[in-house]
Amino acid sequence: MSEELSRDTRMEQLPEAEIKPKKGFSIVWLIPLLALVIGGWLVFKAWSEKGPVVTITLKSAEGLEAGKTKVKYKDVDIGQVEEIALSDDISKVIVKLQMQDGAESFMTDRTRFWVVRARVAAGKISGLGTIFSGAYIGIDPVKDGKPTLEFVGLEEPPLVTTDTPGRLFGLKAEGLGSLDIGSPVYYREIEVGQVVQYGFDESGRAVDIKIFIQAPHDRQVTGNTRFWNASGIDMSLNATGIKVDTQSLISIMLGGIAFDDGPDPLAAEPAPENTAFPLYANKDETAKENYTSQNYFLIYFNQSVRGLSVGSPVEFRGIKLGEVIDIHAVVDDKTRVFRIPVTVAIKPERIHGFGSAAKSTGNDLRDYVDRGFRAVLRSGNLVTGQLFVDLDFFPDDPPRDLTFEGTFPVIPSRATEIREITESIAEIVKKFEKIPLDEIGEDLHRTIRATTATMNRIDRLAGQFDAETVPAMTEALDSLRSTLADLEAGLGSDSPVNFQLREALGDFSEMTRSLRGLTDYLERHPESLIFGKKGDQP
Amino acid sequence: MKPAPLTAREANLIGCRLCHLLIPLPQEQDHCPRCGARLHQRQPNSIARCWALLIAAMLFYLPANLLPITISSALGTRQSDTILSGVLYLLNSGSWAIALVIFVASLFVPLMKMVILVFLLVSVQLRSSWRPKDRTRLYRLTELVGRWSMVDIYVVTIMVALVRLGALANVEAGPGAAYFAAVVILTMFAAESFDPRLIWDRMEDRNE
Repeated sequence: MSEELSRDTRMEQLPEAEIKPKKGFSIVWLIPLLALVIGGWLVFKAWSEKGPVVTITLKSAEGLEAGKTKVKYKDVDIGQVEEIALSDDISKVIVKLQMQDGAESFMTDRTRFWVVRARVAAGKISGLGTIFSGAYIGIDPVKDGKPTLEFVGLEEPPLVTTDTPGRLFGLKAEGLGSLDIGSPVYYREIEVGQVVQYGFDESGRAVDIKIFIQAPHDRQVTGNTRFWNASGIDMSLNATGIKVDTQSLISIMLGGIAFDDGPDPLAAEPAPENTAFPLYANKDETAKENYTSQNYFLIYFNQSVRGLSVGSPVEFRGIKLGEVIDIHAVVDDKTRVFRIPVTVAIKPERIHGFGSAAKSTGNDLRDYVDRGFRAVLRSGNLVTGQLFVDLDFFPDDPPRDLTFEGTFPVIPSRATEIREITESIAEIVKKFEKIPLDEIGEDLHRTIRATTATMNRIDRLAGQFDAETVPAMTEALDSLRSTLADLEAGLGSDSPVNFQLREALGDFSEMTRSLRGLTDYLERHPESLIFGKKGDQP
Repeated sequence: MKPAPLTAREANLIGCRLCHLLIPLPQEQDHCPRCGARLHQRQPNSIARCWALLIAAMLFYLPANLLPITISSALGTRQSDTILSGVLYLLNSGSWAIALVIFVASLFVPLMKMVILVFLLVSVQLRSSWRPKDRTRLYRLTELVGRWSMVDIYVVTIMVALVRLGALANVEAGPGAAYFAAVVILTMFAAESFDPRLIWDRMEDRNE
């Protein structure tokens, strides 16, 4: 009882606990503070990494996906497609790109965008990785230029990006041949560049080709450098044999351009960028002069043009200037006069100082015609009757005016004089006289005599063959026949070999028969293997 | 009205939170003589701690939903998904039931938990006597349902562990997953640190 009491009293005596509210900053508040810092940092990072929004126009958005497709430069992500929409006239696709921070510096009008997909072009397969990963947008950033945020995307990836060191050069050719964009350019059979662009020149009569030569090989291109079309296989047959000229297997299939140093390579200075060179048809042509521009002229002849054909040469005092490209007859509606206009193409560069194509057609030509510049038909080959157009100055010819037929200047013609023809006939007769007919006859006689001697010798050789070789061969055939007879006797049907063989076969079949008897017995009495045959028991 | 029953605090007693042994109020903060747990009359610093954790959870809720939670790559195509984009994808592809589950477990429940906790904290701090029973029920619900939000994290971790086919298919956890886990854990701790008895303390004050 006392114990209970004392416990109660003790209970009452319990002191009140002091309740001290915690003061100050609780450590738990560090958690939201940390969350705030992390959140703030995320917001700052997202905001600071946001770069410019760029709009590019493409023909098709094939393979692109908003929110997924990346913009990559050297395989580094620098942006992402945000939005793909059709243009107002639904002819194009407008793609909005969200670039990363720092992209402003290369958003200039010279920067190019294109879509990287798997492609097979010019013998090269590119973008294979995009088969699995999907297309991405490639960029060729250029820092200097006018800043812009609107771009027109390229349809094909550029062959040469601006970060590739090297230089562009121009080539002028009569035709493109089998060249294409991406065709290789070789220097000493090593690929050093490629064709990046081609198109007609201003006149539309020649082709301008742009090539890019990578550094450091671009230094090999000098003012003397000669380029030629190295497409396919160049085969020629001449007195020294067959000559095959080719670059690489790729150039055989795709075409290509090759160049060499040209004459005097050590003295030449490297050519400045965009220098234009002529493109020769093949390597041999580089040795010859080559002309890329030509002028067209009309010539009216009042005489027969029999013997003149398309392709007949046009010469000036024996130098070929061009060729005939068209002949036909025209009748004037009013005067009923028949005339034959002959169109000729002349390469004025063949005459040094004649001036460039366009300039010379006007006043210069008028001046020449005043001084008696005329076209004459001349006989080039008396036997076949081929004619050619000869241009020359005839100062005593009655004065004529230069006229124009459309844009073509008309070169006045002059009738061929009979005297000229007779002169040339006389020349031919003179040549005939010079032929040493007597000597030729003598030579022929001598040759025939030598031939007869040779024939005699051959006859003798044949006689020798008959007398010596044929008997020996007959003998050899005889001995062969006797050998065969011996062989037949040894192996014939009643020969000893045959008899012995038949006997051996009989023995063998007997042996087989007794072996069969043994196996039969063993099958019936297998114990005999251990205990022996029954009859043998004692 | 029935008079309010005597509470342990009024009787100067303290109940152990773990083994529920009733002990006379000790002089100093002490441990339970039976199970050794620390004894508190009320959770110390309950409201401040709950607020702190709750604010942290709310701050993390934004990146958890805005950043990708999974980055999956199949045959080289990389795709990053946030929780919401995953829900929308499932909804568009017709599996609205799964979409609903993910939406409820990952978006709705954490948000509701935070809203309920804010409501409870504000009501306790304003010493409101409004429907203490319902508020206690709300608290129970919060505590109960909280752990289910972790389903999302488990799914992501299992996917990351299972789908490892190199270049063919690969799943990586996005940064959003970490923030989402932080939200769930922080709200769970916040709910834990809230002492529901604070709701009823107001009733006691009224009786006095």
